[in-house]
Amino acid sequence: MSILEIWLGILQGFRVTALVTLYGLVFAIPFGLVFGVAQYMTTGPARFVVTSVIEFWRSSAVIILLFVFYYALPLAGLALSAMTVSAMVLGLNIGGYASQAVRAGLQALDRGQKEAGQALGLSRSTILLRIELPQALVAMSPTFINQLIQLVKATSLVSLVTLSDMTFRAKEISQIEYDPVPIYSSLLLAYFIVCYPVALFGRWVERRINPVREARCAV
Amino acid sequence: MIRTDSTLAVQITSLNKWYGAFHVLKEVNLTIPSGSRVVICGPSGSGKSTLIRCLNGLEAYQQGTVTLGTVRLGDNARETALARRQTGMVFQNFNLFPHLTVLSNCTLALRRVLGMPRAEAESLARHFLEKVRIPEQADKYPAQLSGGQQQRVAIARALCMNPRLMLFDEPTSALDPEMVKEVLDVMTGLAQEGMTMICVTHEMGFAREVADQIVFMDQGSIVEQASPMTFFSTPTHPRAQSFLHTLLH
Repeated sequence: MSILEIWLGILQGFRVTALVTLYGLVFAIPFGLVFGVAQYMTTGPARFVVTSVIEFWRSSAVIILLFVFYYALPLAGLALSAMTVSAMVLGLNIGGYASQAVRAGLQALDRGQKEAGQALGLSRSTILLRIELPQALVAMSPTFINQLIQLVKATSLVSLVTLSDMTFRAKEISQIEYDPVPIYSSLLLAYFIVCYPVALFGRWVERRINPVREARCAV
Repeated sequence: MIRTDSTLAVQITSLNKWYGAFHVLKEVNLTIPSGSRVVICGPSGSGKSTLIRCLNGLEAYQQGTVTLGTVRLGDNARETALARRQTGMVFQNFNLFPHLTVLSNCTLALRRVLGMPRAEAESLARHFLEKVRIPEQADKYPAQLSGGQQQRVAIARALCMNPRLMLFDEPTSALDPEMVKEVLDVMTGLAQEGMTMICVTHEMGFAREVADQIVFMDQGSIVEQASPMTFFSTPTHPRAQSFLHTLLH
């Protein structure tokens, strides 16, 4: 099998890799935002509940969650598709990490920002949405890009629940060809080719949405 | 021009505040008539910043009352919010919003609190930026301005909300010496228009020129309260005497 054929084979899995990533983001972004903000704003028992949910998704092994949700939930009468389970498990796991970045970004802001908003008579929600979150999210954007890259790479696990992503295709080819070195080397390169543009995109976004930092350089 | 009758009088009665076991404000009583200018000074840690932060609800207190105009702070959330809306505050570290332009810093509360349309809010903001003499900086970001300019933006931002009482918490302490004057000039102009002002400051020249009451605090208590003339010429409390001595010599 020529290198070109190996590449074409792996490429057939690209669509699934991309879809799991995208659907994963559909879970990760709202979860990270809502739970990060909730952990920042709540105290007492409410905070304990929020923290418990985050810790469940953040501290469980993704591969085991995939198996449990894919193979065990049907026993309880809830059969989710492999794609749904994969997107949810990978998305909420990364979302758990992202929530901590959101919370850290909010906590790192100078207390004076909130106080200035209060002194102007702004409501708590306006202070959060107009003053705190915009600054926290910009400050944390490199972390979010990191997590997006981690999500892309984590999708290689979905081959274990029958989805034919790039890793699944590589395994298939390798089982037919008995020549793992060029095949897995190609796979390695394939993930790099997907992830590196994400990193470049991240740097571009950072430059675009950070007029303040640019301004500091200009002075 | 601010009409004197549209400014707020402040009444502080038996105010006590603790940080844990630390008694930070002890039995503070202070009457500030509408339109008057009070300068609060004293050594660091004497509770002066804490006191003025109690006046707009940024600090909670355990005992006593604060009355702005006819509204007693803390009676209910709505009235406190109303009182807060009538109070402008200028901070030592400016606390401008770094992600917003100067103009947006000024219009944010106008639009989100008062629901003012953008065009009207912007023209009002430009009016106050003109008043603090930096109309040309409207479209820049705070980080592009000098400290003195930033503090003047902060003053304009507070004035946009048409406050009836202005609180200044060491507004020039974070500034380079040569920028202090431009901020004090703006504050002096405001005083001349009849705004009720409470300033925590160590600028004794400003205090002498603008204040009609000097309040000297030490260890959480007001230990001396006098007109500037009396305070600077014949301070009675030994702590005030030594404070002035170190400051003026």
